[in-house]
Amino acid sequence: MTLLAFRDVDSYYGRAKVLHGVTFEIRPEERVAILGRNGVGKTTIVNSFLGIATIRSGEVDLAGRRATRFQHFTAARRGIAVVPQGRRIVPGLTIRENLLLGAAVGRPGAWNMERVFELFPILRERADTPGTALSGGQQQMLAIGRALMANPSLLVLDEPSEGLAPVIVDELAEIFRRLAAEGTGILLIEQNFGLVRRVADRYYVLSKGTVIEAGELAGLTMETLKRHVAV
Amino acid sequence: MLINILNGLVYGGLLYILAVGLVLIFGLRRVVNFAHGSLFMVGGYVAFAVAAVSNFWLALVAAIVVLAVLGVILDRFVFRPLQHEDPIATVLVTFGLLLVLEDVVKTIWGKDFLSLAAPPLLAGTVSIAGETFPVYRLMVIAVAVLVALGLSLWLRFSRIGLYVRASSVDPVTTGMQGVDTDRVSAAVVAIGAGLAGLSGTIAAPLMALSPSMGSFILIDSFIVVVVGGLGSFTGAFIAALVIGQVHNFGIVYIPWAASMIPFLLMVAVLIWRPTGLAGGRA
Repeated sequence: MTLLAFRDVDSYYGRAKVLHGVTFEIRPEERVAILGRNGVGKTTIVNSFLGIATIRSGEVDLAGRRATRFQHFTAARRGIAVVPQGRRIVPGLTIRENLLLGAAVGRPGAWNMERVFELFPILRERADTPGTALSGGQQQMLAIGRALMANPSLLVLDEPSEGLAPVIVDELAEIFRRLAAEGTGILLIEQNFGLVRRVADRYYVLSKGTVIEAGELAGLTMETLKRHVAV
Repeated sequence: MLINILNGLVYGGLLYILAVGLVLIFGLRRVVNFAHGSLFMVGGYVAFAVAAVSNFWLALVAAIVVLAVLGVILDRFVFRPLQHEDPIATVLVTFGLLLVLEDVVKTIWGKDFLSLAAPPLLAGTVSIAGETFPVYRLMVIAVAVLVALGLSLWLRFSRIGLYVRASSVDPVTTGMQGVDTDRVSAAVVAIGAGLAGLSGTIAAPLMALSPSMGSFILIDSFIVVVVGGLGSFTGAFIAALVIGQVHNFGIVYIPWAASMIPFLLMVAVLIWRPTGLAGGRA
């Protein structure tokens, strides 16, 4: 069974074709990274199964079952939680309310608000303040906490290190490793190879909307990094 | 003076119940619903028809239910397809809907004025500061306060209220958490339309029923929404109270300018605060 699988997927924004025959898969408890420069289609992979970009051909499996209709809520209901690029903390809601929103899917599991507060004590301290009042790093913690409230089988992290200080990125890397060790699958979409190296054990490299290379992270060459990942 | 204030509260209460439906629908669907006045009017006529064979209270419930169902239908076939369209398209379609509903009512009930009697339980008067005031009008004020309180508590403390608030600012992120925002929106539009039915019914004993009754109050309702701030429930409540008083005092003291004053107030508020009294976003 796969947690998430794309097979030969073409995806569009309006008439603009962004993904060209993308194929990849992630199985339970795996830690997979999708690498690539800005604008190569990494976020479009996420937007495709969230119903933001339009899949016009190919096959997508969510939690081992073929998906044919993609609405914003489809993936969450199949155990795939997304920490989106830019965090997307809902304005006007407190930290507590943002976390409660994450539990909307109602999947049973080990994660609840108390456990999220244990993982990120700052969120407990400021639980009743607006989520958008937090710093960038704290907002990322809130976005991760919100995703965990759904008790996901797969956590999709879209550029989680974007705009964060290296010390915060180090903290996040440790948290992602702990989550993976507890059995949560991780799909890390990143340009920051330092973070990828500490979290993932398999990778796909995306270039111009196509997967051009895949393998074990240990086998990733410097040449590939320089040509397709390094900015 | 006190009686004038109370009458202003009655009109403000009706405006609030109607305007809050507009706020709900705009918040979730980003549709400025020009047909909302006709929902108010249809609510009054449905109540009139049901009251003819039963009583006022059953008519009230029937109007709310019928309008809520109509709201779900409108959401599915009008508001949802329109939500990403050019605002001018939504204005044209909902305005067209207003005309269609008015013609449907004219066809069924005719153009003549009709009246719906207040329930016997509320037909009397009470003495307030030495003057008599109809009990029914006090009931209208009480209903508006209960609607405001109920909506406020529902939005603040219920799970679906949380989804409504989240969907109104970021439907994509809300959907990503597993919330079916289309269903939330359908429920909210049903509530908004049901409130138009409630408003139309309780307004019916105060004003003559006519196919054009919705068009008049719709204009004041839009003023309430704009003065309060698009999408703001608190703003709508405050604005409805103010417009109700301004409308009523205008009629009593400067009748020649009464219909102009709410517009002047709206212009003044928009110059002072372009996002309205409590509006935070454009």
